[in-house]
Amino acid sequence: MSAQNDTHLIHMTNQIAANLGGGRDAETAAAATCRHLETFWARSMKHRLVAALEHEDGELSPLARRAVILLAERVAKRHAG
Amino acid sequence: MIQHFDPQRQANSVDFSRDCGTPAPAASAATVNLEIDGVTLSVPVGTSVLRAAALADINIPKLCATDSLEPFGSCRLCAVQVEGRRGLPAACTTPVVEGMKVTTQNERLAKLRRNVMELYISDHPLDCLTCPANGDCELQDMAGSVGLREVRYGFQGENHLQASKDESNPYFSFDPSKCIVCSRCVRACEEVQGTFALTIDGRGFESKVAAGQNDAFMDSDCVSCGACVQACPTATLMEKSVIEHGVPEHSVVTTCAYCGVGCSFEAQMKGDQLVRMVPYKGGDANHGHSCVKGRFAFGYATHPDRLTTPMIRDSIDQPWREASWEEAITFAASRLKAIQAEHGRESIGGITSSRCTNEETYLVQKLIRAAFGNNNTDTCARVCHSPTGYGLKTTLGESAGTQTFDSVMKADAIIVIGANPTDAHPVFGSMMRKRLRQGAKLIVADPRRIDLLKTPHLNEAQHLPLRPGTNVALVNALGHVVVTEGLEDKAFVAKRCDTDAYNRWREFIAEPRHSPEASEATTGVPAEAVRQAARTYATAGNGAIYYGLGVTEHSQGSTMVMGIANLAMATGNIGREGVGVNPLRGQNNVQGACDMGSFPHELPGYQHVSDATARGRFEAAWGVPLDDEPGLRIPNMFDAAIEGSFKALYVQGEDIAQSDPNTQHVETALRSLDCLIVQDIFLNETAKFAHVLLPGSSFLEKNGTFTNAERRINRVRKVMPPVAGKEDWEVTQDLANALGYPMHYTHPSEIMDEVAQLTPSFAGVSYAKLEECGSLQWPCNAEYPLGMPTMHETDFPIGLGRFAITEYVATEERANRRFPLLLTTGRILSQYNVGAQTRRTDNQRWHDEDVLELHPSDAELRGVRDGDWLGITSRAGQTVLRARLSERMQPGVVYTTFHHPGSGANVITTDNSDWATNCPEYKVTAVQVEKVSQPSAWQQRFSAFDLAQRDYLTKAHQETP
Repeated sequence: MSAQNDTHLIHMTNQIAANLGGGRDAETAAAATCRHLETFWARSMKHRLVAALEHEDGELSPLARRAVILLAERVAKRHAG
Repeated sequence: MIQHFDPQRQANSVDFSRDCGTPAPAASAATVNLEIDGVTLSVPVGTSVLRAAALADINIPKLCATDSLEPFGSCRLCAVQVEGRRGLPAACTTPVVEGMKVTTQNERLAKLRRNVMELYISDHPLDCLTCPANGDCELQDMAGSVGLREVRYGFQGENHLQASKDESNPYFSFDPSKCIVCSRCVRACEEVQGTFALTIDGRGFESKVAAGQNDAFMDSDCVSCGACVQACPTATLMEKSVIEHGVPEHSVVTTCAYCGVGCSFEAQMKGDQLVRMVPYKGGDANHGHSCVKGRFAFGYATHPDRLTTPMIRDSIDQPWREASWEEAITFAASRLKAIQAEHGRESIGGITSSRCTNEETYLVQKLIRAAFGNNNTDTCARVCHSPTGYGLKTTLGESAGTQTFDSVMKADAIIVIGANPTDAHPVFGSMMRKRLRQGAKLIVADPRRIDLLKTPHLNEAQHLPLRPGTNVALVNALGHVVVTEGLEDKAFVAKRCDTDAYNRWREFIAEPRHSPEASEATTGVPAEAVRQAARTYATAGNGAIYYGLGVTEHSQGSTMVMGIANLAMATGNIGREGVGVNPLRGQNNVQGACDMGSFPHELPGYQHVSDATARGRFEAAWGVPLDDEPGLRIPNMFDAAIEGSFKALYVQGEDIAQSDPNTQHVETALRSLDCLIVQDIFLNETAKFAHVLLPGSSFLEKNGTFTNAERRINRVRKVMPPVAGKEDWEVTQDLANALGYPMHYTHPSEIMDEVAQLTPSFAGVSYAKLEECGSLQWPCNAEYPLGMPTMHETDFPIGLGRFAITEYVATEERANRRFPLLLTTGRILSQYNVGAQTRRTDNQRWHDEDVLELHPSDAELRGVRDGDWLGITSRAGQTVLRARLSERMQPGVVYTTFHHPGSGANVITTDNSDWATNCPEYKVTAVQVEKVSQPSAWQQRFSAFDLAQRDYLTKAHQETP
């Protein structure tokens, strides 16, 4: 069941990245995607998505993956802070 | 003495219970001085003598005139004498002129009026004492007024007294024997409603009111808005509820609980019994008009299905047990506490209602944030207009429509995208039709040929019949034409918009891939038609865009909203009357539910939960620390429930089991919950999965406010006591107290005071001010104490408008050989949303089942005839509906509504959703249809479950001593 949920979160992240990717360079698009996740997603979903970085196998698009890495940094910083 | 006309004073002193005979003329500063019966007065240019007299409290007798309709001059009762003029002109059709001297009463006029009335009465039944209009009949009043004492002609001559009644409409009767052929009904149908269903058939003595081509009312084009009934001065067109109960004795002005137009009504009462709803002339959203739902479909409030007692049970496979309020609330609170103790603070949440009041919605999200201690709050706007919130906030800086409804009367070109105003927002649809009859140009972007395109006396109309799911490609093509053909308003953009964002957008949109020629293959709309539409919108003068769920309920819903805002900014169609970006909200209080902080990431007033300053204000006022991370949205809650991390849900006034997509997924989620608390007026579909049932109160049973699609805050006033003893806000308050979070409001006005204190855009709102002003359009604060009808006049809340890049990312839901058709879903005039209210009224007579509309060519290909049972299969599920062949559809696209639970329309809709907000993609589902002979497996399971759950409710009633 939880694997299914991971797939769903990854799918949504790819969708956000694809929609925010247009007309922006890769780094700006990744930052915009990360900001979107941070602004709109629940804590549990963010944590779960960050955790999925470890074991996802190319399901995240490159842009989405970059965004989740940024998100992971932000989440870690928040925890530390 | 010359009295100076003061328009402000005039506006404030209007008594809407009075009928001034003819409408107020178009606003003008110029005035005319005249004398009526020796009284000197000054009135605006264009005022009729009848109206001018009425404004001076001189009431000239009249029958065919009423101030909701243009003057007609047929009854001759309002004849007056004008110094220096020959004859006795009708006051209703005579405009005032400077220096005019009018006499309204003398022997000659009195004789003329008596003669007129004598003729009328010679062909009118004399059953006044038993007539349903007795005490509320203008003919009777006029007979009295002119002093009619005898009818010299007798009653034996040729007459209409034997004309037979038409009782076909469930809500009103038509008795032609009482008709005086004043044409008020015909004119109301044309001028106010814009349907043109009525006509005067025949000439001279043979003249009679006819519906359609002499059809029964129910068989004609009549949409049962009731404008004719309201306009009728006699008992000819009469509400059946008045025939049954008699004339009401008092009335209370309140706000309709159906669509986002938010019409004001007089609830006309006898004691605590509602006799009829009459649209209130002083209502700023509706100006005295209504639709079949608001005016007539109120019987659900007293339907025997109403829940009157709280119920509890341990499992959904058990019968209900009736409980006291205290027992039920304690049961719910202890369950919630136990679940949080075991599964954590974030394991519970709630859903606020767009059908409940602002105050109730505010309280539910407060309960969740303050008493549950998390941000797991969401509302049904998630599944309808959440992309509006995201898209408009990103581009224009505020999550709301920019105009008043009245603004449409100044529009020169009107674009309607993915909305069907004549069905879903009928009163606004009528206003729009009025403007179209005056000559405004219409552009409709919709897969279906909606009824607005069939507006009688329509001027220029363009239809862009795009394929479902290709909105963004179309709006980009429109933007491309604006930019490449030099149709931009460069001065507006330079002054009002962020230059960098604009330049990026301009570069993006000018790319050849966005040209209408390039996107034609995607959208299916001929390039030339797109070019023409863009030119019309950009050059007509005032261009206004209206949109509905056909924009938002897509996987690119938010992108499309931003695309619309881009288009409006690029052409300078923002910040004045007649233009703007106008989301047509589905339910009565969708705007309000969003404003009141129902979303998991925003506190009331769209203040993000991570904003420490805003959050700090709420923490100080509420006395608890608040979570600074967004909570779960509705679809996230379902996923978490199925996964096992989300265990309890409090749902007020929503029916997620019927309205949300992929029904089987929703059902699995609801079954996974350990505690589902449903507060509703009926045992709705969601309630069948509940453990606690808290009876709700209808809009007639409580005080509060609704906020309509034009940001207008309107009062809801209690006209009868709640059937189960409590208003909804009281129940939420009890639950908070039982959870250990104290709430002590004694009236909803105190809740609004708290909202005003914490929400900058509501700072100036109070019940006292609403009483004074009637309604207020937020923002209402120190800067705009009377609210703001038109937004963004001088700047945007974010300073400069921000163009957004709108890349078209096609939906993953595609038609293929297995699922070759695209299904889109929508609404119909007579039913409302999940139908819980309207299915319990005579509105069923118009639409007692959901059907699948398909184009005759798709039907022929499959050997389908009108009325055949069709199995509709998607990747999510299967359901069975009856076929209706319709030329409104384009080949390849099928359509249905979701008003009846057993239809299972949402069994076939999928989990696809808007990328930014998770708003479901109701409007695009790839399906196959085939002829079948029995209900689907889901429908059979549904029937059995439904039966069992109803039985559990009946048993609860029986077991109570």
